[in-house]
Amino acid sequence: MFDENDIKLLIKALNDSGGYDFSNYSLKSFMRRVEKVLYDNKIDIYTLINAVKIDNVFLEQVVRDVTVNTTEIFRDPSVWQALKYMVLPRLHARKEINIWHAGCSVGMEVYSMEVLLCEAGLLENSKLYATDINTDVLLSAEKGVYSCRNSEEYMTNFRKALCVNPFNREEQINIPPQKYFDILPAKDEFRVKPFLLKKADFKKHNLVSEGNPFGIKYDIILCRNVLIYFNQNLQNKLFAQFWDYLSDDGILVLGIHESILGPLTAKYEKKGLIYQKKLI
Amino acid sequence: MLNIVIGGSAGSFPIVTNILAKLDKSFSYPMFLCLHRLKSVRTGFVEALRLKSSVPVFEPHDREPVINGHVYLAPANYHMYLTKGNTISLSTEEVVNHSRPSIDITFGSAAKSFGSKCVGILLSGANKDGAIGLKAMKDSGATIIVQSPQEAQVKTMPMAALKITEPDFVFTSSQIISYLQKLKE
Repeated sequence: MFDENDIKLLIKALNDSGGYDFSNYSLKSFMRRVEKVLYDNKIDIYTLINAVKIDNVFLEQVVRDVTVNTTEIFRDPSVWQALKYMVLPRLHARKEINIWHAGCSVGMEVYSMEVLLCEAGLLENSKLYATDINTDVLLSAEKGVYSCRNSEEYMTNFRKALCVNPFNREEQINIPPQKYFDILPAKDEFRVKPFLLKKADFKKHNLVSEGNPFGIKYDIILCRNVLIYFNQNLQNKLFAQFWDYLSDDGILVLGIHESILGPLTAKYEKKGLIYQKKLI
Repeated sequence: MLNIVIGGSAGSFPIVTNILAKLDKSFSYPMFLCLHRLKSVRTGFVEALRLKSSVPVFEPHDREPVINGHVYLAPANYHMYLTKGNTISLSTEEVVNHSRPSIDITFGSAAKSFGSKCVGILLSGANKDGAIGLKAMKDSGATIIVQSPQEAQVKTMPMAALKITEPDFVFTSSQIISYLQKLKE
């Protein structure tokens, strides 16, 4: 076992040797992640600290392992319904729509967005930017090939997100998933169709320290279930940064059970499941 | 302040509904529910629990401060951690015992954060999630209750707990309800 002092030593080592700053992570969740790394590698905390000081490849591995990569195709369909009916309609007038997926994991959210944009006739005019700290997940994201293990949930999500109109439940909408995905159970492959690949710009980026990864303004920033691992200070810093990076009527999408607390509450207007930048 | 933490899976829904219906409106302890649900049933669960509940039921947001007398249901697809500062932490980390939310996680966090100031209740269910967490609660001084396997619709979960720890009470659901009703006295 280990205590908070050991964790501080590890955080210092990760920062000194790799430039990764975990000091503003929620201590509890960081400790849980470290416990898992120790368990998976069958080592103790001191071995871990020493190893990240001397072995850069291992350090990168540890950084990948302490971050969380849970994601789904159309996770939380009600969020996608809100985007479809409340946000996308007013982007039709735009020549260019810029969307940033901050903490994109293996890219399922990015491809879900592409499908939503495609159905709205907006994909052509959209630029998708996607970042994560973990280079492994970015490689998977670029390939757009996943396991079939959860494909039933993905399809349930897909139907709820795209084929149900929450404002008119009678409406019949029929969009076949095969238009966008090849589902190959025999190969255990859930593949994104080629025309959706290469559309998004995937890039390694450290949300904590690297500012705006593409140096542009975004109409939508999605950062779902990332900030729950950060402490309040870092959350506030990022809500302020997102505000700066959003276009004037830009939208911030958080995880369905996340909310903006603290001083930045005043700078966003909560509209159902999404936050709109307030100009003040 | 006492905290009530309840875990359950298959067969626990009617019991939880019944507990919530029979609590007094003035029930003054915070209650936390970690219930497995079918993957296809992600929404509508909290609404269903609210229908007959005499106390308010919520799916909390991350860092939500806990209010006495409120019931907090672990949201679909998130682990729910209870913290010393009386807030709720959510996480999307890996599934535990094939489950997210995992009862072991919620119970384990209750053991760490609440120690003896806690009652843990494990109900009917078809897997072993919750047993280790319930033992951790017992070891840190909490009062623990297991639904009687004879009564449980699916006994795997209560049996798994009985195998590794000795609960303070093995109760039927009506005994659980009257225990909770008496707590406020």
